[in-house]
Amino acid sequence: MEQAVNILFNGLSLSSIILLTSLGLAITFGVMRVINMAHGEFVMIGAYTTYVVQQVFTQFLPSAIGSLYYFVSIFAAFGVAFLLGSLLEKFVISRLYGREIDSLLATWGISLILQQAARSIFGTQGVNVNAPSFLSGGISFGDCTFSYNRVFIILLVSLCMVAVWFVMYKSNFGRQMRAVMQNRPMAQCMGINSRRVDNLTFAMGSGFAGVAGCSVALLGSIDSTVGQSYIVNSFMAVVLGGVGNLIGTVIGSGIIGISSIFTENYTSSTIAKAVVLLIVIVFLQKRPQGLFVIKSRNLD
Amino acid sequence: MRLLNLFLKHGSDTTFGIIVFILAIMPVLLAAGVLNGGSTILFLGKCISFAIVAIGIDLIWGYTGILSLGHGLYFGLGGYAMAMYLKLQATGGQITDFMHIGGLTELPLIWKPFLHAPGSLFLILIIPGLTAWLVGYFIFKNRVKGVYFSIISQALTWAACSIFIAMSPYTNGNVGITEIKSIFGSIKGSANQGNMFTLFYISLFALVLIYAISRFLVTRKFGKVLIAIRDGENRTYFSGYPVSRFKTFIYVVSAVFAGIAGAIFVNFNGCITPSQMTITYSIGMVIWVAIGGRGTIVGAVIGAFFINICEYNLSSGSTVEIWQYIIGILFCVTILFFKGGIVGLVQEKAPNFIAKIRDRKVKA
Amino acid sequence: MNLKKTLLTTLAAGALTAGIFGCGGEEEKSQATVKVGLLHSLTGPMAISEKAVRDAEVLAIEQINAAGGVLGKKIIFVEEDGASEPATFATKAEKLVDIEKVATVFGCWTSSSRKAVKPIFEEYKSLLWYPVQYEGMEASPNIVYTGAAPNQQIVPAIEYLIEKGYKKFFLLGSDYVFPRTANMIINAQAKAAGISVVGEEYADMDQTDFAAIISKIEVAKPDVIVNTLNGTGNVSFFKQMSEKNYTSKEYMTMSFSIAEEEVSTIGPSILKGHLVSWNYYQTTKTPENDVFVAAYKAKFGSNRVTSDPAEAAYDAVYLWAEAVKKAGSFAVDSVLSVIRSGSVEFTAPEGKVVIDGKNQHLSKPVRIGEVAEDGLIHEVFATPAPVSPDPYLTTYDWAVKAGLQPLN
Repeated sequence: MEQAVNILFNGLSLSSIILLTSLGLAITFGVMRVINMAHGEFVMIGAYTTYVVQQVFTQFLPSAIGSLYYFVSIFAAFGVAFLLGSLLEKFVISRLYGREIDSLLATWGISLILQQAARSIFGTQGVNVNAPSFLSGGISFGDCTFSYNRVFIILLVSLCMVAVWFVMYKSNFGRQMRAVMQNRPMAQCMGINSRRVDNLTFAMGSGFAGVAGCSVALLGSIDSTVGQSYIVNSFMAVVLGGVGNLIGTVIGSGIIGISSIFTENYTSSTIAKAVVLLIVIVFLQKRPQGLFVIKSRNLD
Repeated sequence: MRLLNLFLKHGSDTTFGIIVFILAIMPVLLAAGVLNGGSTILFLGKCISFAIVAIGIDLIWGYTGILSLGHGLYFGLGGYAMAMYLKLQATGGQITDFMHIGGLTELPLIWKPFLHAPGSLFLILIIPGLTAWLVGYFIFKNRVKGVYFSIISQALTWAACSIFIAMSPYTNGNVGITEIKSIFGSIKGSANQGNMFTLFYISLFALVLIYAISRFLVTRKFGKVLIAIRDGENRTYFSGYPVSRFKTFIYVVSAVFAGIAGAIFVNFNGCITPSQMTITYSIGMVIWVAIGGRGTIVGAVIGAFFINICEYNLSSGSTVEIWQYIIGILFCVTILFFKGGIVGLVQEKAPNFIAKIRDRKVKA
Repeated sequence: MNLKKTLLTTLAAGALTAGIFGCGGEEEKSQATVKVGLLHSLTGPMAISEKAVRDAEVLAIEQINAAGGVLGKKIIFVEEDGASEPATFATKAEKLVDIEKVATVFGCWTSSSRKAVKPIFEEYKSLLWYPVQYEGMEASPNIVYTGAAPNQQIVPAIEYLIEKGYKKFFLLGSDYVFPRTANMIINAQAKAAGISVVGEEYADMDQTDFAAIISKIEVAKPDVIVNTLNGTGNVSFFKQMSEKNYTSKEYMTMSFSIAEEEVSTIGPSILKGHLVSWNYYQTTKTPENDVFVAAYKAKFGSNRVTSDPAEAAYDAVYLWAEAVKKAGSFAVDSVLSVIRSGSVEFTAPEGKVVIDGKNQHLSKPVRIGEVAEDGLIHEVFATPAPVSPDPYLTTYDWAVKAGLQPLN
């Protein structure tokens, strides 16, 4: 029983991390069809922003409000990644619309540049972020401990989901965005500035990667290669769930997260990784477009 | 003048001929003492293997529009098959150190076929080919295409890489198979120059052969069908072509090329590790093709040589801190502004340029 | 548009020429210099660790040059990036010894990169100085190992744990050759001492989520975790342990790959009280160490820390210079014959180290340390005299009985 609860909670928390890192991808890849290989590097940017915010807080502000840095850094990470995403869209991505594969290769080059930039700015060695005091520790039920940090990440990702859902389905901008993605010429005819919509959408996707970086900073190392460890799982989650569908991404992350924790419990982590990937590959044979497919009469 | 005309008419074949000629005289230059250090030849040998895998990727990506981000898998499979044979040559058919550490007492079954040369050479072709056929058969039959295929191929490589790391008693995990000599014995140092030259010329011959096969394939009707699949898959279906069979066939061909490349690479490099199977490595291969010029075969060769020579020279000395910037910017700029890569650029500029020279000659 | 195109073409052409002719190599071929190679990963995942080692080597080279060089010649170094990739290491090692014709090479960190370059140094009859503690079971005639052999790090640490009364070990490592070999040794040692090993787990090299492994630890209830994780895995593991408020009181750990650098990236508050085993700490009290730490901080910044691998790399350069002086020549053969005579020694920051003539490892003191709140590691136990290296553990009965030695 305890083991089952543990597996479930650990699985849920891993899923929430995968979801957080793939949420941005679900937007840039799912909605815009841009394969951003530098997505992982935006996670890295978020993590480094957290570090910078923490440094600023410990240097210039009284230690009493020290723990608050984390809330500030969530917004800062979103902001920095949003800005850089917007720049990237303006100078690189915007030239590559309709050339999915080329966007993949160009952003691969960008990811090399961003990694080297991180090394040049912050040094080759990793940096450290201390968990804010209100997130250390956890609630215990019997032998199971649920750490506050993991619970916080689950909350954070739910909040982000609500935000994305609101922006996409309830706001005016979201309506424009969906219009542009579904039928660009028609949307343009209706007077929507499609360039601006593209730019903001991509920037938003990158911003959420930055938020993911904020949580990742508390869980592991912050160095120039941190993004690479998350990128494949995120892509798999989006593809598994069905491109262009947010609920699909949620379920995709859930399947990958829980099944990898479950497999790892009985085997080793390396085997678990391979098994989960193979399961996803086999599954995609059955449903090549993912779990949730947007029905359309288009052939290509 | 005649050369110029030749260039205009058979541009890619002429260029390939020039590349092969330059490569072929390298050992001569070394023997004559013009070139410093035999390891240049070994490095160029590795580049030849990269060029072969790049040709394979060009066939499926440049011509057929299937972007595989996991060709490292087939490169690695071919490499491991070769390395297992060479390792058993080095140990005299006995079990290896890593098997001993992993608790094995006799040679595992999967190593047995690699005891003899003919079987191993056969497996170098068969293992990548069969794997690719299995993967391709299901994926293409189920009409997984475009980006979905790319991401699946990426995941496949990752999974395979993990399996090779996890099965360390059989594969030596992350360290891979090391301390092996080439198929002709040691190739390092001036004493073994003869072996090195033999290996180099055989690899060069393999490159020429694979180039010829690829040119043969793409200049026939078969090649036209591939291009048709790339440009309008559904239309090709409706015209009555069994698209998935075409795709599977060319995918298997390309995987076999990658396997051969891996086997050549191991001979020159003296080790194979799972890092040859990583996603980073596989994307690197695609980038070679993109830089050289996709859909031209010769572009793949040029790209593989160009990028590897760049990296070899730039990632050292004074540029060691900035070489990633240079390479990254090179990728971005090429893809943003020169979609055709180096070959595309030449194709665009060369006719004008040659015409200018001709004019000048005529005037003079 | 046209201007832009021309500009880009120029750029591409520039990169092309740079690529083909190489703007890297130092072309000062004066008589008064000797060229050595540095071969480390400056990009890729291993750059995190290897940069510090490379820095220590540069520092030693500059110090030797400032003191007049070796045999009247200044040392210049050629740097190559191994890019965290064994095949690249092999290519670059070949380039250094065959094309650059360096006198010696200082380099590598991971065992996979060392194993990839080992045949190259043997076949070209060249010399590599490997500065990192490793799993042993190797003694190449063309490599000098200045880090600890297993009997200078792992074995004494386990002896220390047994002496302190720890009875249930949990072995945790990265899925990698060093942890696997180390755990093979520890298993044999524990078996001989009647200690139970309650679990053995391997994490993937780029694992970021340790929840499943931590649950396995919770179930096994060990009283000490013997940790051989490498690199970023350590950061994730300890951060996620501390998430659950596990400190050294709940689960003591004994780590073999956590030095001062790693402590600062994980956070001293998390690691406080945990044990590590090395030969050197920044706090080691020798006059040589005071000079070394001061010089390192002066050159690379006061926030940088020295660590065992960095110190071993620093020693490597000095030991090479010492061997060259004794041999009176830079030729690899004569340097190696001096090394094999067992007379090359250096008063290092960790104390006096001597190259063992038989296996080319160093005899060095072993120190068990405890991480303190200030981010430094303080010694809690040290061997009274330097321990001689025994990479194959042939002098340990339990190891011989367990058949740990490699074949042939």
